[in-house]
Amino acid sequence: MGSNNIVVFGGGSHPQLVNMICENLGVKPAHVELGKFSNGETSISVHESVREKDVYVIQSGCGHVNDNFMELLILLSACKTASASRVTAVMPYFCYSRQPDIPYTAKGAPLVSKQKENVSFQSSSNGGQAFTLMTHKPGEETLLKANDSGLRQFNNVGSSTNLIKSTSFSRIPMIPGGKEQGSSKTDAGELFNAQNSGYKLWVAQAGTLIANLLTTSGADHVITMDLHDPQFQGFFDIPVDNLYCKPIAQSYIQHHIPNYKEAVIVSPDAGGAKRATSIADSLKLSFALIHKERRSQLLKGPPSTTLTSGNTLPVTAPLITPFSSREMSSSTSTSKYVQTTMLVGDVKNKVCILVDDLVDTSYTITRAAKLLKDQGATKVYALVTHGIFSGDALIKIQQSAIDKLIVSNSVPQKETVEFLGKHRVDVLDVSRVLAEAIRRIHNGESISMLFEHGW
Amino acid sequence: MAIEAEDMSSNSIKILAGNSHPELAAIISKRLGIPLSKVGVYQYSNKETSVTIGESIRDEDVYIIQTGTGEQEINDFLMELLIMVHACRTASVRRITAVIPNFPYARQDKKDKSRAPITAKLIANLLETAGCDHVITMDLHASQIQGFFHIPVDNLYAEPSVLNYIETKTDLANAILVSPDAGGAKRVASLADKLDLNFALIHKERQKANEVSRMVLVGDVTGKSCLLIDDMADTCGTLVKATNTLLDHGAKEVIAIVSHGIFSGAARERLQNSKLSRIVCTNTVPVDLDLDILDQIDISPTLAEAIRRLHNGESVSYLFTHAPS
Repeated sequence: MGSNNIVVFGGGSHPQLVNMICENLGVKPAHVELGKFSNGETSISVHESVREKDVYVIQSGCGHVNDNFMELLILLSACKTASASRVTAVMPYFCYSRQPDIPYTAKGAPLVSKQKENVSFQSSSNGGQAFTLMTHKPGEETLLKANDSGLRQFNNVGSSTNLIKSTSFSRIPMIPGGKEQGSSKTDAGELFNAQNSGYKLWVAQAGTLIANLLTTSGADHVITMDLHDPQFQGFFDIPVDNLYCKPIAQSYIQHHIPNYKEAVIVSPDAGGAKRATSIADSLKLSFALIHKERRSQLLKGPPSTTLTSGNTLPVTAPLITPFSSREMSSSTSTSKYVQTTMLVGDVKNKVCILVDDLVDTSYTITRAAKLLKDQGATKVYALVTHGIFSGDALIKIQQSAIDKLIVSNSVPQKETVEFLGKHRVDVLDVSRVLAEAIRRIHNGESISMLFEHGW
Repeated sequence: MAIEAEDMSSNSIKILAGNSHPELAAIISKRLGIPLSKVGVYQYSNKETSVTIGESIRDEDVYIIQTGTGEQEINDFLMELLIMVHACRTASVRRITAVIPNFPYARQDKKDKSRAPITAKLIANLLETAGCDHVITMDLHASQIQGFFHIPVDNLYAEPSVLNYIETKTDLANAILVSPDAGGAKRVASLADKLDLNFALIHKERQKANEVSRMVLVGDVTGKSCLLIDDMADTCGTLVKATNTLLDHGAKEVIAIVSHGIFSGAARERLQNSKLSRIVCTNTVPVDLDLDILDQIDISPTLAEAIRRLHNGESVSYLFTHAPS
């Protein structure tokens, strides 16, 4: 296969990354016109021949996700029907790779309905009911821990106050009821009356669907990076190359964090422990873990007496912050729903490096940073592969205890840098590793060395 | 045809609605006497779509109503539909029927230039991949799109409802039907036969998409009240130009009747400044134009009846020629 056989298309989501990858490959991004018809339908026209070519389409799952994803599908199918010999979807950040399995996000991520004005209408009775639905166990009594300062603090953040309050208060989504506000209220109530029928609410997992849609639209191969679940690869019937940001992150730690040998790698939740330990192991650093526990009935006494042991320091917090405790206690069914966050490991007087693959609402990572500072960490770095930063995430990070945010450019980070300032954000460049993967796949070489050594 | 709620075994049919057209879903569900199932379709703050099914749908006959609309949201609605279909598939339903009154991307149905995407075909494939067993749609831009699917597609016609409208709400004595382009001639000819009216044709020379250049009228419209018939009105450039052409040729008045009133872009201004005496569309897509000249035809009876017949395994072809009232 001659090198003139490669054609790289960029979607509209991240033109900067496309240019960087192309520069690394020494090719020009192929000419494609992306746009929309006046009725909103995505329109593309490919201005370069792809017949018998090896085609790469680069599109990250950011911004207006569904628009960008449809654009990718249409591009893939256009190339396929135009007789491309092979079509590879390059998705630095894979959209829909992380979907919570409960109707609200466990991290308190705000569920924003389509109609903005609906956000504020959630009545406390709905919220209370919903709250009960998810956690109710017969015979439980309410135990509200209102002593959390972390959540309170976030709730007082500037202009975002209202949004956070309303969304974090009722984590149950409501029916975005078109134009009839009145009816949607009752609908939302009805929806979650399901507790009477014993039916457990569930959220559709779009993972397999997304994989199948890509295959259907003609993708022969997928390149992505730091998939939230490595199992995601198994959803595909086509080869998926999951690249890692780890080598780049490691070299950043080695070169840009002073005295990194004294630092502690911290995983903000148990799910990321494996990712964090692998970095800690290769750099021979010590490791700590923040464990989030949602227990509803086990706490009998003050948490500090029951749970503290050794380096395990609990911080109790109600998962949601009510408008007022009166409203909460007025909810008819009672249940206690207390979240315990504990740190496993010693961070006192140490530099901490929080490692996570994905930061979306930044709820987890900012809370983790606060916990680390509370436990005596001198400095907190946050090292993140995919910085989606949706909603008011950037405001939260700005207010948080994170001293420095290190994020890759798998999704555009211009706004992040502008918002937080250059001194507080470092952007890791993943274009080289992606370009090298494209080059190797095009030439039929092995890419496994990229997993370990980066590029 | 009155539909009695008790006629239907309501425990074996479920109607789900997306966010694209809640009003239409509500009328259909009311007409069938079956409440809409509890589903929540939301958007996370990162703009990904999330679907929650609020009740058991195991082994049910599921109908999902979602139309193609929204200048900003058409892809969101499409993903909503795909995820809902997929959710139902994973929830072990017996059969999934997507009810798509206005099929999105229907106009991108051919490779009209090199490497142009045939997006309508892609959408058909995506729906099948997601797990659709059947599709109900209305007035497809090209009925050949049915052939893009490997599953049955019922392409319903708004024509019977339009026929009713013309017979009851317009003056037939002095009317003539007009097709604004050659592609719609067949549609208009069929209406003209049924109404026993004459018809005229406007031939347009198109240079770019959504842009119309020169118009040539074939037929005599002098002193007539013209009924301009088309399958969709999008930016309304064609409609307005056709109206002007007709009036220039001595037409008394022009009434436009379209199936899908998409009205995107500058449509509102164009219609407001146009010399159209009436613009009539169906409710396959939500219309939020507050123009005095706008009139709507309710096609929910046709869709509801199609759902009922499909569920009961009856023939649907009756609906191609008759509008249930």
